[in-house]
Amino acid sequence: MGRVRLVRGNVACARAAIAAGCRFYAGYPITPSSEIAEEMAALLPKVGGVFVQMEDEIASLAACIGASIGGLLAMTATSGPGFSLMQEHLGFAALAEIPCVVVDVMRLGPSTGLPTAPSQGDVYQARWGTHGDRPSIVLAPASVREVYDLTIRAFQLSERFRTPVILLYDEVVGHMMEPMELPSLEGMGPVRRANPVDLPKDYLPYAADEDGVPPLVSFGSGVRYHITGLIHDESGFPTQDPAKVSSLLRRLHEKISRNLHEIVSVEPFLLEDAEVAVFAYGIVARAAREAVQEARARGMRVGLLRSSVLWPFPEDAVREVARTVRAIVVAEMNLGQMVYEVERAAGGRAEVVGCFQVDGRPISPETILDAVSTLCAHPSPSGKSKGGRLKEGN
Amino acid sequence: MGEVRNLLIVGVGGQGVVLASDIVAAVCLRHGYDVKKSEVHGMAQRGGVVYSHLRYGPNVHSPLIERGRADALLALEWSEALRWLPYLRPGGVLVVDMVRSIPPIALRDRMTWKSAYPPMDVDQVRALQVEVCACNAGQLAEELGNRKVANTILLGILSNLLEFSQEEWEEALSAVVPPHTVDINLQAFRLGRSVHAERFTAGGIPVDLPPTYGVPRRFRVEIVEAWCKGCGICVRLCPEECLRLDSRERAKVGDPGRCTGCQICQLLCPDFAIAVHEEQVEEASIRG
Amino acid sequence: MIPDVRTYLRPARMPHILCPGCGHGIVLGALLRAFHRLRLNPDQIALVAGIGCSSRLVGYVDVCTLHTTHGRALAFATGLKLARPELTVVVLTGDGDGLGIGGNHLIHAARRNIDLTCILFNNAVYGMTGGQLAPTTPQEGVASTAPYGNIEPPFDSCKLMMGAGATFVARGLAYEPLALEEMIARGLVHRGFSFIEVITDCPEYYGRYNQLGKGPEMLMSQKRRTMDIMEILATKRFVVRDRPEVRAWNLPYRLGILHEEERPEFSQVCWQMVAGREMV
Repeated sequence: MGRVRLVRGNVACARAAIAAGCRFYAGYPITPSSEIAEEMAALLPKVGGVFVQMEDEIASLAACIGASIGGLLAMTATSGPGFSLMQEHLGFAALAEIPCVVVDVMRLGPSTGLPTAPSQGDVYQARWGTHGDRPSIVLAPASVREVYDLTIRAFQLSERFRTPVILLYDEVVGHMMEPMELPSLEGMGPVRRANPVDLPKDYLPYAADEDGVPPLVSFGSGVRYHITGLIHDESGFPTQDPAKVSSLLRRLHEKISRNLHEIVSVEPFLLEDAEVAVFAYGIVARAAREAVQEARARGMRVGLLRSSVLWPFPEDAVREVARTVRAIVVAEMNLGQMVYEVERAAGGRAEVVGCFQVDGRPISPETILDAVSTLCAHPSPSGKSKGGRLKEGN
Repeated sequence: MGEVRNLLIVGVGGQGVVLASDIVAAVCLRHGYDVKKSEVHGMAQRGGVVYSHLRYGPNVHSPLIERGRADALLALEWSEALRWLPYLRPGGVLVVDMVRSIPPIALRDRMTWKSAYPPMDVDQVRALQVEVCACNAGQLAEELGNRKVANTILLGILSNLLEFSQEEWEEALSAVVPPHTVDINLQAFRLGRSVHAERFTAGGIPVDLPPTYGVPRRFRVEIVEAWCKGCGICVRLCPEECLRLDSRERAKVGDPGRCTGCQICQLLCPDFAIAVHEEQVEEASIRG
Repeated sequence: MIPDVRTYLRPARMPHILCPGCGHGIVLGALLRAFHRLRLNPDQIALVAGIGCSSRLVGYVDVCTLHTTHGRALAFATGLKLARPELTVVVLTGDGDGLGIGGNHLIHAARRNIDLTCILFNNAVYGMTGGQLAPTTPQEGVASTAPYGNIEPPFDSCKLMMGAGATFVARGLAYEPLALEEMIARGLVHRGFSFIEVITDCPEYYGRYNQLGKGPEMLMSQKRRTMDIMEILATKRFVVRDRPEVRAWNLPYRLGILHEEERPEFSQVCWQMVAGREMV
């Protein structure tokens, strides 16, 4: 067994990947994610896995997809600029339904931006970055422990739904160290994805079961088939037949949307009697929690809804909260991204107020507390039935 | 005007036709004869055809031997021997190496797509009233330690048939061949002279003929019309002009009988629309 | 007889989508004959391709086929080969795919010397998008985005590959399918990164824009305008200078196996390192 020690977020990510069975890592160095690559380079050979540093992020995700097709669980990690380059292959992995895990340790952008400063600016890129219309699973841990758990979860979801899964956290989560017990790597060896057994003679590689997820067969295991980034039918070959085109794109969406209960995860905190709720994710949720506790101490009825899964968006949970509170403060390290989703889900049942910060520093509990205090002190004159237009709270 | 002797030496590039001819010419000159020599060795690379006409006597005018007038034909290679056979006079002597060394000219037969190397049947040649002195000179030379002296072994055989003395031969030989090869050439020459003493009792030498040599082959050109796009590559590049495009711009076999089975159409069809198959030919139709 | 390699195709997918007279199918035939000659098990072959005319070919071959994104096939193939070193992984790419958008992946695959066989179809143009300028379009050649003639010099991809460290570099012609088959077979056997550039034709765009005729004419003129390295050696002109003048279809390219060397192969080295470090 392991022992409790101070573990860095990025190290926890790598260790969890190994524990989850990841045996292939391809990456390109970029701050603030490089520790993941370094850790994987050191660990993978010890557990029968392969590490390769590719020529860029485009190639990194391509190599991961290639390895995944070969039967290895694969991961890559990057930050904003590299994540932009990976969009092409996120789309490919989504359409061709090749499992892989992509870690985006967010830094302040756009462009080279502030490479060493945290941000939550990639929320929409994680959802909509690649062209075309595809669902997205994006997990957002807020602590080192959660980085570990959600990395494992990312692999599980990726295999379960045959889709790329993005682990999205910011520079602070990646670099902070917290005490945790890291499970030992002892006894871990080579792992390969199990191939489905008893495939029917007329096996169609992209014919899904009721769940919407077709079984994945590794190349080289005796079944010859075609994988393409073109729109394809159940046989895997390109098609332009409108019915088949639509059927594929709908299935890709539905395999996620019909199984939301397996994916979505929110953590309510002191929401039962709250009149104002804070919606936060990632590192900001920690400040928000402190702000909520401080507000409570000052007699304000404030609660927190933290989501560790950003996409698919926890629509039902937010709608429920909106029914019971007067206002929702969305605190995030950007100039408003998740806030639009919250407003949409709230559907006018609660005022939605943004609490944004883009100065390269994490949002402090005081900032959130200020935003909350304003709302508690001056309740919306029209009551909670009317949602206000978006405005920044500080 | 004294009698002129005609000697034809043939072979392929690299076998030493010209050297052998030079040696004979040297012997003749030493003997006091007039000599005329004419040779073709344009195919300088190995394998190309080489021949040398050599005429000697008290007085020689023309350097060229007419058909049917050669007294002896010294052939370093079997198929060349057959090619030049018409130059030999009735009762002339053929001295020939039986080791197969296939020259490019005999490599391919377009109809059968096999080696067209002629059968090495000594008896058949003897039937043409030719005295045949055949031996595995190449192999004997190899046993002596140098494949290249096969020509000298054959000269040794030839020397028994000509009027010059062994001393004259050996002096000429020593003067003409490269100095460091004098010893092995003398060995080879003497071996050749002794081989003749055995009078070629063997009726022939075992040969390995391709069993289908000379058997016509028949081919069927399969065209998958659904895959043909009418690009015309096969039509333009078929060397026998077997193919054409029909009115719908699809490849069609015009004259299947002309197909030699070269498969250029199959190789160059970008659409995998052509496959050439060999048809079984009935035994009866082969001989008939 | 030359074998009928249609058994390696997926007949239900045929005929393929390429234009009449396009030489790409000839090159595919040579590849399939090389598979046949080496007695490779189709289950253990992966054909990986990017985007473009040449890349579409993989869908017609009954092996494990992966049709990826523009220029990135080698990166996908690298991951696949590392995950499954026992597979024979072949990458089909075009001149735009491999030398334009995918140039970075090409040089790095060569540098790593990973055991992939990369066949680059050079038809001097972007065919699938309608005849635009490629990194291989000869100077003065007309393309839809170079209506007054190309003003850029083209790549010599074999020189590029030798510089990048490829351990097997060859160039063949679609017009010489048997020589090509031999080259490909040797590339497949070679342990390391094998690069084979094939000069092929695009009658529909490049041929039409430059009045070079249709398929047969283009293929034959390519034969006339290339030089066989062995022929050059045979003439004992050991120092060869490329002809400086380059017109629309003047290919000053040398054919044959241009470079071959032994160097440690990447996937093997990678797994050797793994074997040395695994925990007991």
